[in-house]
Parts: sequence; structure tokens; C-alpha cells
Amino acid sequence: MAYNAIRLEKGKGGWGGPLVIKPDDVRNKVVSVTGGGIDPVSMKIAELSGCTTVDGFATSVPDEQIFVAVVDCGGTARCGVYPKKGVFTVNLTPVGQSGPLAQYIKEDIYVSGVKVENVTLAEAGATVAQAAAADTGSAPKAAASQSTQSSGKFGFITKLGKATGAVIGKFYAAGKMTINMVINNILPFMAFVAMLIGIISQSGLGNIIAKAIAPVSGTLPGLLVVSVICALPILSPILGPGAVIAQVVGVFLGLEIGKGNIPPALALPALFAIDPQVGCDFVPVGLSLGDATAETVEIGVPAVLFSRLITGPLSVVIGWVFSIGLF
Amino acid sequence: MDFLANVAAGFIGLFNAGGATFMGLVTGILPTLIVLITFVNSIIMIIGEDKVEGFAKKMTGNIITRYTVFPFLAMFFLTNPMAYTFGKFLEEKYKPAFYDSAVSFAHPILGLFPHANAGELFVWLGISSGITTLGLPISGLAVRYLLAGLVVILIRGIVTEKITFIMMGRKGVN
Repeated sequence: MAYNAIRLEKGKGGWGGPLVIKPDDVRNKVVSVTGGGIDPVSMKIAELSGCTTVDGFATSVPDEQIFVAVVDCGGTARCGVYPKKGVFTVNLTPVGQSGPLAQYIKEDIYVSGVKVENVTLAEAGATVAQAAAADTGSAPKAAASQSTQSSGKFGFITKLGKATGAVIGKFYAAGKMTINMVINNILPFMAFVAMLIGIISQSGLGNIIAKAIAPVSGTLPGLLVVSVICALPILSPILGPGAVIAQVVGVFLGLEIGKGNIPPALALPALFAIDPQVGCDFVPVGLSLGDATAETVEIGVPAVLFSRLITGPLSVVIGWVFSIGLF
Repeated sequence: MDFLANVAAGFIGLFNAGGATFMGLVTGILPTLIVLITFVNSIIMIIGEDKVEGFAKKMTGNIITRYTVFPFLAMFFLTNPMAYTFGKFLEEKYKPAFYDSAVSFAHPILGLFPHANAGELFVWLGISSGITTLGLPISGLAVRYLLAGLVVILIRGIVTEKITFIMMGRKGVN
């Protein structure tokens, strides 16, 4: 089978790329990790390059066989997982370097906001990028072992100084990591939540919504209903991504608790009621992170989704039991 | 003209309210959060992932710790989403249940250890801020959320494990 080099460009509002890449006999699978079958962009990539498409939710593919992974990640997990593994990644959602794995998202391995028209055949003679090796963290380890080797002859004070320096270095690195986390993940969400709260509370919209959902969210049976809805296997993978829905609903319920419309004793059951769908969008990727085989992924996805129907409402009851005596 | 001015005032009012909320979040929550996360990140770096892995492997042997201590360690030390790589220590038949258990702990852990999943902090913060508004302490709620979370992930692990076994049996996979 002849493979063609293709060119992937970022779409409107997208980030990264352009990637000029060509499949080979080993790396020849386009994995569509978008939920709901294989998306048109994956098909176009496969058609032009001569690869086969694989539905990442139905089965799993060893990383070294993946030509391109196509995801539709809002910016938390999936968009970073594949670049970390050294796999070329196409994100249909226009998201730049974000999420806990933002450091792995680089222009030469990742392109986002891609639409069907951004996938083209590469012009003849274009330089083809090679798939990068997965980041294994070997470089820092090598550096660390070097520094321990050279410390052999020095006296106690030097050793103490070096050990202190190493610990201080770790504290500093931890601080740096934390600030990056705050800037990449926490502050953007705070901005979003603040805007939402501002508009909802100031416009009077909040009172209307509160009146509509009070009978549902203000009682234990109401929360059970919410949890059953969130756990429905057709809805749970859609409600999952980035926990955005759980967070928005959480903020909203928090406002109502603050106003006294929902009793504080229901806070704990509510935390579970808004969350039966947690991670349902991420099952195949999460399993492949744990080196699960394709057979396990095929069985694991429905197993988790069905389990939530039972354990979702149950978690609300457990939350309710645990909140006895609080507030 | 007056009408337009009123509209403009109303429009800006929406964002003044939003700005005040943002200020409250940044000054009220961020300082402690940053110091706490820095502390926990330091601990994780000083202990090192290798030592955690050795201990975590011992927790996979029985069904209780496999779906409580094991996912807790994964989420605490590796955080979301790398926590799921701990699945590699388990046999295939346990992997879906472990994933289910670990991912379900991604939010109950937030009340006490926000570093584990900082990007999804508002699942916890949204609701707990309502309790703060009422002037009640949230530490009790945070502890109970974590403990109830451990019970939930244990049950979730066991239920998903049984479902996986049944489905694997039907498909004839060992």
C-alpha cells in the first residue's frame, strides 16, 4: 500500500502546526478519539494518506501504530495525553497549550481547530516530520545521576550543602509547577465562573432558574433524579468533558445554598448527584494510559457506563448518610 | 439618550458584578491554594514516584485496598490524568474497575488536596462556596466528601469489576 504525505493546518482560532507528516508500514492508523464514531476529519486524513481509521472508543491501538490521533478535547486531558506519548495529535476543538499536560503540547506535534478543509496533500518535496519519541523523562534523570557521582570526594559540609540545595531546588520547582497550574487551569476557570455568576445574578436570570429547579435540587429525591439522568449511558460521555457541566452546576447550586434556597445539609449528596458522569468521556484513553489491551477497552467502556447507572444514585445516598450530623 | 445610557449602565453592571466575584475568588481562594499546592507538590517531588509505585503495587492484592488506597495513591501522587497509568500494575480484568474507581476519586479528593485535579476545582469549590457564604466551616464537609468518596469508589470498583467479569465471561475472554 502506498502512503502519501499530508499537511495538517490549524483552523480558525486553532493553535500549533502545520504538520507535514507521512504514515509508514507501522504507523498507519488514524485513531478517532472523539466519541460517536469516526469523525469526518479522521476520514479525510485516512483517505488522503492511505491509512485506516480506528474508533478509539471501540478499540485500542498500540501507540507505535498510531499515525495521528484525532481528539475533540476542551483542554483538560486528551489534548495532552497523546503529545506526551509522542503521537501526532489533531484536536478538532481550537485549544492551545492547556491542561495539566500543557508542557507536552508543542507546535511540531499538535494542531488544533482542524476542519476537513485544513487537511490537504503535502506538496511534492516537502520535508516530512518524524514522529517524536515519547517523553520518558530520561534526560533529567541522567543529569541527576551525574551530580551524585561527582560528589564522592567532597566532605560532609559539601554533601550537606548539596542535599540542601537539592531540596530547595525541589521546593522551587514545586512553586513553579503550582504557579503554572494556577495560570493554565485555575485562573481561566475562575474568569469563566466569575463572568457566569455576574451575568446570572445581576440580570435576574438566576431567580428564574432557581424557581424552576428548586423543587428538583432542593430535596434528596430530586438529587437522585439528577444523578440518574447524569448516569444514563447515552448522556454520560457527553456530560463528562472537562467536568465543565459538573462545575457550572456546582457553582449554581453553591449560589442557591448561599441564598438559603437549598439546605446546607444537602451539600454533600449534591456533590455526588452532579458527578455520576465523571470520566465517562475518558474511559478508552484512561484505560490505554493503564496499558489495557483492545479487548479490555471494548468491554471496559460499556462496563463503566452501566456500572454508573447503579453506583451513581447509590453515591448520592452514601453522601446523604455521610452528611448526617453535619450542619 | 437616557435610555441608551441606562442600557449601557446595565450592561457594564453585569461585568462589574462578575469582576467583584473574580476579585473575591482570586483574593479569597488563590493565596492559600497556591501555598497548599506548592507544599503538596514539594512532598511528592521529595518522596519520588518510584517509592510510591513500590508501595502502591502491594495495595493491589485484595479487593478492598485495590479500590481505595490504590486509587487514592494514584490520584494523590500522579494527579489527573496520569493517575490512570497505575492501571499497568493490574491484570487486564481489573483495569476497567480501577479506572472507574480512580476517576471517581478525582473530585472527592479536591476538598483537602486540590493539587490532584486543579483544573476541575469548581466541582468542589462551587458547592462549598455556598457553605462559606452561610458562614459555616467547610473543613467538616471536605473530610466527609473525601471519606464518602472512598466508600463510593470502593463500591464502584467492586460493581464495575463484577460487570467486567460477566461481560468477559460472555465474550470468552480470559
